[in-house]
Parts: sequence; C-alpha cells; structure tokens
Amino acid sequence: MTSTLTAPAPSVAPAAPHRIWNVVRMHVANPFPTLVMPWLVTLAIFGLNLAIELMVVRAAGGVDNLDENAFQYNGGISWIAIFMLITAVQAMNLTFRFALGFSVTRRDFYLGSSLYFAMLSVLYATGITVMAAVERATDGWGMHAAFFAPWGLVNQPLAAVWAVFVLGLLLFFFLGVAAATLWVRWKAYGLYAFFLTLAVIVVGFGWLVTATDNWSAVWDYLSGHSAVQLAAGTLPFTLICAVAGFLFLRRATPRA
Amino acid sequence: MTAIVEVKNLTKSFGKVKAVQDVTFELEEGGIHGLLGRNGAGKTTVMQLLTGQDFATAGSVRIFGESPVENPDVLSRICFIKESQAYPDGFKGKHVLKSAPWFFRNWDQEFADRLVADFNVPLDRYMKKLSRGQRSAIGVIVGLASRADLTFFDEPYAGLDAVARHRFYDHLLADNAEHPRTVVMSTHLIDEAANLLQRVLVIDEGTIVIDADADELRASATTLAGKAADVEDFVEGREVLDRSRLGGLATATVAGLSDTDRRAAASAGLELGPVSLQELIVRRTGGTESPQENVA
Repeated sequence: MTSTLTAPAPSVAPAAPHRIWNVVRMHVANPFPTLVMPWLVTLAIFGLNLAIELMVVRAAGGVDNLDENAFQYNGGISWIAIFMLITAVQAMNLTFRFALGFSVTRRDFYLGSSLYFAMLSVLYATGITVMAAVERATDGWGMHAAFFAPWGLVNQPLAAVWAVFVLGLLLFFFLGVAAATLWVRWKAYGLYAFFLTLAVIVVGFGWLVTATDNWSAVWDYLSGHSAVQLAAGTLPFTLICAVAGFLFLRRATPRA
Repeated sequence: MTAIVEVKNLTKSFGKVKAVQDVTFELEEGGIHGLLGRNGAGKTTVMQLLTGQDFATAGSVRIFGESPVENPDVLSRICFIKESQAYPDGFKGKHVLKSAPWFFRNWDQEFADRLVADFNVPLDRYMKKLSRGQRSAIGVIVGLASRADLTFFDEPYAGLDAVARHRFYDHLLADNAEHPRTVVMSTHLIDEAANLLQRVLVIDEGTIVIDADADELRASATTLAGKAADVEDFVEGREVLDRSRLGGLATATVAGLSDTDRRAAASAGLELGPVSLQELIVRRTGGTESPQENVA
C-alpha cells in the first residue's frame, strides 16, 4: 500500500464544554420521549381531572354548593416527578451503555446528562408555573380548582411554585440517578444495599423521634416552614445523590 | 511503522475467573488485525480493556501512547462496534446515525448514506424492534462511516446473511485502501475473513497463543497428500497437526516445512497444499494439549 494515512484527526479531542454539550444533544436525538410525551400525558391527566370536577360540580348543582377548597388537593401533577425518576434510570442504564459505545468518557456522559436533567427541571417547572398562572387567572378553571399548584402551593407566589418544582424535579432526577448507577455498577446487590440503607434510615429516624418523644416537633417543623423552605431542604440530599451517582458511575462498566 | 496499541502483562479477573491472563502484544498502525478465538476465550474482554470500557486488574494498555481509560483524546479517535451494543429506549436507526457525527470526528455522512442504501436497513424503526442482522448492519455502518483512526469490530456481523457480510468485507477493504486506518476485528468466521487479515492474534483461555503475520501463519503448516505409505515415511519424526486416511491414500498436516523439505516431499510424490487459517487455529486451540508455540 502506497497511500499514506489520510489527514489524521487532530490528536486532541474537542474541548470539554463541546463534548458535554454533545451528550446533551444525544439525549434529545429523539426529542419525543422527554420533551413531548410528558406534556401530552400531563394534558391528558389534566383533562380527565377537569372532566371529573365538572361532573362533581354538575351533580352538586353548581360550584357554590361545594367547599371552596374542594378541588385543591389534587395530586395529578406529581406524576411528572415519577416520570423524571424513570427518565434518569433509563439514561444511566441504556444511554450510558450507548454513550460509551460511542467513545464518550464516563465523566463527559455524567456531566452532560446532569446538565440535561437540570435543563429539563427548569423547563418543566416553567411550563407548570405558566399553567398555574393561567389556573389562577381563571379562578381555577372557574371551579376554584388547583391542578398545577395544588395543596400547600395554592397560596404561594408563582416564583415559589416555580422553585418548588425545580427543586422537586431535581430531587427525583438524582434519586433515579443514584439508584440506577448502583444498579449499573453492582446490579441487584447494589439495589439491595440501596433500599436496605434507605429503610434503615427511615425506620431509624422514626425510632429516634419516637424515643425522644419529638413527633410534635417534627409536625411543627413541617407546618412552620413554607413549601419553598421545605423544598430547599431537599437540596443537600439531591447533591449527595448527584455526587454518589458520579462516584458509582466512574468505575462502572457497560457489561451487557 | 509505529505501534498504536501496546499491551503489557494485561490481566483481567472477574472474581476467581481470569478472563485475560498476562497478555502482551503490540499492534502496528494501519491494516486489519484479526483477534480470533473460541467463545469465552477473552476477545470481547480484551477489546473492552483496549477501549477503556473495562478496567484492567493488572498490566497496562497504551493506545496512541496513552491510557484509554476516561481519556477523551484517545477515545475520540476510537470506534468500538460490538454485537452487544445497547441503544436508548427511544432510539430508531436514524437517531443512531444522527448522533454519530457528534462523537466521531472523521464521520463521512455521504458514505453513511451510501451504506444505508447498500445494506437496506430500515432507519425509521426502533432499534429494539430490529432483527439481529439489521442491528448489526447499523453497527457496521457506524464503524465504517466513522473512519476512526482505530476501529474495533467485535463479531460485527452476527445475524447478517452471506451477501451482507461480503458487502461489509468489500466496503472495509475498499474504504481502508482509500482512507487507511487501523482495524481490529474479532470473528468466528475465520476463513471468510482470512483474506482481509494482515495480522492474526489468537486468544485461548485468556492468553495469546498465536501472534503472527497472516501469510507467515499460513506458511507455517502444510498439508501433504499422497499414498499412505509415502505420507507416513515423510512425516516420521515431524510435528503432525492432523492426519487422515482413506483407503490407500492419506493426508497429513505438518508444521514448519523448509524449502528443502518441500522439495523432498514433492520428489517423494506427495502433493503439497496450503492450510486454511481456520483449520490451523482450530488445531491450535481445539485440543486440551494445544501446542503453545509462537510462530512469529
């Protein structure tokens, strides 16, 4: 063979921000699962809730015959947190193995995925807040209903609603990341350890509070703090999950 | 020629099982190298170690002079196509090909389009719904069109039919001539791929048992055919890899014939023929008492 090697690619990879951004692009190569589908499902849940509420209003013979807060304890919107958890689990499992097959380093993959999760949290929190604004402007769709900002968020400013959703979605993303990276790294044993530890922490906390006779203090704490303060309280835990996920994934191998 | 892959005393254990044991070899830049061996011999593990997907228990791997582990400078010049490649749940073929140029710097879209047409793969179907052969075809397309400086194909054509396999061989040879790069390929179909390979590494039970130039390897053994008595006389005292007898005729495969030996055999009325790479490797890795000599 007489030909020389063709113009060799530069021996230095593109800069880190560029590589990390490419991982974000990989997550939206098919935008449907994470950018379109969640809105469709949310709208479907919302529509069904409206239909049920309208049915109740009709049966009661008008909104005025119902309690003011009858439709304000709706949990429908929380599905989005579960969805994000599942999104994170799939990303850390299948997309991780795919990315390594495409010569991405674990570090770039993790940083790019985390960036994408943060972007999704902001995007969905913003969308939900916009819908909450419409909800308030229409007096809860004319029925004092609260779907997008229910429960403790009913009386909170929109900025607080937004912050609670951003923080809440981040929490669920990185819970998913921590559990999934344990699985990728140690398979079933990792998950046994994860849920056992979680159970020990929860039961241990219960014991501690009961033994020191402090349940009233716990309830006081929860009711004495705003939704934003409580959501902010999850941030250290979210960060611990994020760091743990990175440490777990850094030595994980994409074995089939 | 420079070595772009340098492996020294590489060992990988999974618990008590040693998948790769104290392996040392080098691969020179350019050409197609075969990494051959039986199921479970350690081929995939070696490739995973060379591409930074797995971590060595001991020993060292240097690709382009550096460790590949978590090294973007090295990895972005590597493409590793494997049968067991996982794809994200929502990915169709078109999403795989859409992502490829973001990670493979030499990606040739025009070549990729041509390959898609040539292999006739459906791009608008979910990867998990594709047949094994169709998934393999997409892997092959990525491996060829990425034109990475160093490309690994691990059993690249599981499930591909003979026509598609030959298209792959043709494209690989033609494109490699135009855009020379280094290819490492593992396969079970040794004879089919034999003509592509310039160098052959055979791994058995985690150790390298053959590391040789493909032509040298073929020349390292010869098949002799003739009258049973003549064959018996000639092979007396030589290393016989295989022999068979049919009536008064016999064939024997013997190792290491010199030119003088060959002339002697010919004048003894024996017919000399080449040994297929596959036969040779089967002989060397098949029996329990596989001779572990190094041909190189």
